Amino acid sequence: MTSHAPTSPPRLPTTLLGQLRRQSPRFAVGLVLLATYQYGQYWFDTNLSIAIDAAVAGKKEIAAHIGALLIGVALSTLIIRVLSRMAVFNAGRIAEYELRKALLDQLQRLGPAFYRKKSTGDIMSRATNDLGQVRLLLGFGALNSMNTVFALASALAVTLRISGRLTVAALSTLPVLFVAMWGFSRAMFSRQRENQDAIGQMSAAVQSSISGVRVVRSFSLEEEEIRRFSITNADYLEKTLGLARLRGLMFPVMQAITAVGAIIVLWYGGRLMLGDELTPGNFMAFFRALSRLTWPLISLGFLTSIVQRGRAAFSRLEEVFDAEPDIVDGPLPAPLRVAGHLEVRGLSFSYGDHRILDGVSFDVAPGKLVAIVGRTGSGKSTLAALLPRLQPTPRGTVFLDGVDVCDLPLSAVRGSIGYAQQSAFLFSTTVGRNIGYCFDDPDGTVAMDSVRGAAKDAQIAEEIDLLPDGFDTIVGERGVQLSGGQKQRVALARAFLASRRVLVLDDPLSAVDSRTERAIIDVIEARRERQSVLLVTHRVAAAARCDEVLVLDAGRIVERGTHEELIGRRGLYAAFAEEQRVESELEALSGPATFAGEAVPA
Amino acid sequence: MTQKAPVAQKKPGTRAEAALRAFHEESAFGKAYDTRLARRLWPYMRPYQFWLWLSIVLGLVMAGMGLLRPYLMRITIDQGASAKDPKVLFWGGLSFAAVVLVEQVLNFVQVYAVQISGARALADLRRDAFGHLQSLRLGFFDKQPVGRLVTRVTNDIDAILELFASGALNAVVDLVKLVGIVIVMVGLDWRLSLVGFAAAPVVALLVQLVRRKSRDAFRAIRAKTAEMNANMNEQVSGMAVVQAFCREERAAHEFDVINSAYRDANIASIKYEAVQDAAIEMVTSVCLASIIVALGYHPVSFGTVVAFNAYLLMFFEPISALAQRYTLLQSAMAGAERVFGLLDLEEFDAPKSTDAASAVPAGEAAFSFDHVTFEYKPGVPVLEDVTFRVKKGEKIAVVGPTGAGKTTLASVLLRLYDVSSGVVRVDGADVRSLDRTELRSRFAVVPQDVFLFPGTVLSNVAVGDPTPDRARVEQALRRIDALDLFQRRPGGLDARVDERGENFSAGERQLIAFARALYRDAPIIMLDEATASVDSDTEARVQRALDELMKGRTALIIAHRLSTVRAADRILGFQRGRLVEEGTHSELLRKGGLYAKLHRLHFARQDEAALERASAE
Repeated sequence: MTSHAPTSPPRLPTTLLGQLRRQSPRFAVGLVLLATYQYGQYWFDTNLSIAIDAAVAGKKEIAAHIGALLIGVALSTLIIRVLSRMAVFNAGRIAEYELRKALLDQLQRLGPAFYRKKSTGDIMSRATNDLGQVRLLLGFGALNSMNTVFALASALAVTLRISGRLTVAALSTLPVLFVAMWGFSRAMFSRQRENQDAIGQMSAAVQSSISGVRVVRSFSLEEEEIRRFSITNADYLEKTLGLARLRGLMFPVMQAITAVGAIIVLWYGGRLMLGDELTPGNFMAFFRALSRLTWPLISLGFLTSIVQRGRAAFSRLEEVFDAEPDIVDGPLPAPLRVAGHLEVRGLSFSYGDHRILDGVSFDVAPGKLVAIVGRTGSGKSTLAALLPRLQPTPRGTVFLDGVDVCDLPLSAVRGSIGYAQQSAFLFSTTVGRNIGYCFDDPDGTVAMDSVRGAAKDAQIAEEIDLLPDGFDTIVGERGVQLSGGQKQRVALARAFLASRRVLVLDDPLSAVDSRTERAIIDVIEARRERQSVLLVTHRVAAAARCDEVLVLDAGRIVERGTHEELIGRRGLYAAFAEEQRVESELEALSGPATFAGEAVPA
Repeated sequence: MTQKAPVAQKKPGTRAEAALRAFHEESAFGKAYDTRLARRLWPYMRPYQFWLWLSIVLGLVMAGMGLLRPYLMRITIDQGASAKDPKVLFWGGLSFAAVVLVEQVLNFVQVYAVQISGARALADLRRDAFGHLQSLRLGFFDKQPVGRLVTRVTNDIDAILELFASGALNAVVDLVKLVGIVIVMVGLDWRLSLVGFAAAPVVALLVQLVRRKSRDAFRAIRAKTAEMNANMNEQVSGMAVVQAFCREERAAHEFDVINSAYRDANIASIKYEAVQDAAIEMVTSVCLASIIVALGYHPVSFGTVVAFNAYLLMFFEPISALAQRYTLLQSAMAGAERVFGLLDLEEFDAPKSTDAASAVPAGEAAFSFDHVTFEYKPGVPVLEDVTFRVKKGEKIAVVGPTGAGKTTLASVLLRLYDVSSGVVRVDGADVRSLDRTELRSRFAVVPQDVFLFPGTVLSNVAVGDPTPDRARVEQALRRIDALDLFQRRPGGLDARVDERGENFSAGERQLIAFARALYRDAPIIMLDEATASVDSDTEARVQRALDELMKGRTALIIAHRLSTVRAADRILGFQRGRLVEEGTHSELLRKGGLYAKLHRLHFARQDEAALERASAE
């Protein structure tokens, strides 16, 4: 099974400069190809001019000879052009791929300190929009900055040889084109962002209206919801049309400016031609060279925005790359054998000023079952998450076989201390793959047998068989297709299957009825030689089956002992026990027929 | 391990993968053109057809002007050359400029007109899709993931919009233009045209060859983008699980498979796009060269050569755009199919208005249940033969174990679900004979799990009111003694409420819901008490607020607290969907049935002092 945290693969460069350097061979090839391509264009135009003049003068052999050469050059520039784009654009895509890979590796290293501050949406926007901008910079941006230089050189070499004055006249419109495009590109980016924001707002309106459909119906808010939606719909329409106006304007303006250049050539060049200062071949070559310049200059207008945006986007990516993981590997090597003796010594923990745990100490010896009981907010869940270092465990407080868990590699700690939580997160794949999450090949026959076994242990196998596709039923996003109790048991099966020496279960049965809970505790007892369990629970019935019960209140252990001892002490635990005896009688009143109501929408 | 994984990925037929494929089938592409769908889109286009026709007419005019341009060039050059007169060049240049100017103005109008027609029509379609969602019955939403429905209203319609935005509809005009170019060129000089078009079959072959591959790459990119984002999104949201199970490497590997497939699809598409672009450029160059070779044997005017060059450029340009347009059309059709699929659903909510003008025998009953049976799933009754009456101004507490059907009472009273048999009456009228809005406006509902809308505290209290009355919101909050609590927060009543109200505690959400009910000022209050524990300060506020809320109203409260039960005029005890007993607190205690047991077991612990006082009475 997996053993190493993702520090082992060689780290990919995560700076803009680093990526530029890493992709430099491709850029170099691209540079040479682009230079060659533009030289080919220069050669084509120059010889075209000669060929036309020869043809007009009636020297057909010369025209045919050069014409054949021109065809050959046109064919080879095709290949060069394709290769140049492939070299540079591929570099952009490969850089994007590597940055994305590095981003995920980094996200996997980061701990709760990071995820508390950054929402999933925020992270995803960096991974998609920002990364896209960076790719644009490294692909499109790089290609056009190189190409524009060569294109200018190649076109000017043609036109200046024909006529310096005509060149100046024709190029007079190009600065205008550049400035116009620069303005358009800026406006375009901001309109596009507005457009995205508008569709975001509209989605949010639909989302909340559907998530809150019950309230909408109960309060007859349909009209109001439609009105609110209409506002976002109208706004989106307006933004769409705004973008359309800009796009619609850009092309004609571009064309018009280019056409002015063409008219100048036509008129002034024509005059020169009449005065025999210009041959028809020259005229044609000039025309072509000028039109070759249009696109590179248009892209140049975009380039400034692309560079600016790419850099801003990259700085947002750097916030992720540069974030310091709050939970890291310890210096010691992974132990060869883990007995699984878990000790907690004087564990205190705070969020800011708010103290959650205060001097908690206890032992879970191999083969033992220990329960932690407490009210909501007593610090149970925090304690459970600290043991496998899913939260930043303070040094010198949690020991595995006598070694501080902070000194061990994370993979060794989490490979020995399993963890399943109350609000079970399931992946939107099949039930079988969720349970077999620890397998590399969860669909294999061996894996499927174990998956079924674990499902049986978690008392969910029969219910899975009743699902439309059994173990191959898709659970939906975060497991929406399953009821709360089913989700918890699928997560429990997943935790069983990972077979860690110690299993920390954070109230994994809160949505499971008591009969099923009993059966699951039976299984836990039967497995105790293989796996010791720390069971965080609010249920006394489950705690009663454990070797030791710890009662947590406001972050402190206030009582400890066996179930019988604690009941006899008539303290907090005894009070819980009484409350729950009452509840179980209530449950008995409701009977099994209505308990199926678990999945009923109410 | 890294060896094993790709094998697992490629193994073609595991059932899990088949299931996953079926689940993601949504992203599949449909037919490129479907008459039935086009016919259904038409009613949305009709109001804006002026713009559509305008754009088509302008497109044709522009195609004509485009054809005129090279011709003008030819005349200018040839006549200027023969007349040796700069004046001809000047006028020629000027008329050329005029054509370009008009053409570009028309171009703007044309592009914008097509977008106006499309964007407006689709905004209407969007409005209808959303409105349709608002009219479907509640049971429909129990089965549907929210994200999928959001997609119907947003992305699916955007896929259709893309047709208009991308200019794909210009394909028709382009076709006319292509034919025009051929006619003009042949008219100018048919032999030279033959030379020029000699390369056309080669281009057609090349484009055809690349087109399919380019389309496949394009589809792969779209599919992989979705898959990649979904995978990363899930890893980020479930990072704690990934880390707890030490699955980082494996998860990274899984992601890498998608990420590299995405990269490779893009790299393929780069190749094909580059080939298409370059091929067009190459072909125009080759054609030009061939014309020049031919020129030696077949002299024509220089103006003709210039014009031919321009026409050739114009000819090959739209061909390269063809492949992409085809794909756009396909995804638009797929989007349309899903949107109309939603619009075709007829699982409607209770009707908005009913013909049976309810002759209301305005008795003293606020509402009543008459032998009501209800089931979500056939054969599993949640309410069974329930009969009771509630007088105006009466305060009723409903008690019973979990799953006894208490919450369902509210659902059928509001007619969110229809009863299977029996009659539910409000103000003496069968709820099925009442206008839905009219019926629901008589109730203020406070659910157990309060839903807050994104917005502000103010907009949430005054929910449904397009112009929230700040004074009344403040008054409502003051009455439940919670005004200071919210004013203390930064932003006060204008403090932002995040999605689902996640930035408010359960107790605060409860108070907002109470204020919401007060603001609504409906004659009947229905409240499902929260069982979730809240901090004691808020808890006390919630208790006081509840008393204030019930004052002067009919109230039906699903009670979890002794104080609430004791404040009620009458208690209804439910068990397994049946009403098993009713009476006042002391009557039921004396009776020694379900309530007495519930009371002894459950409520007794909550407030022992209160219990002592109660038994002393």
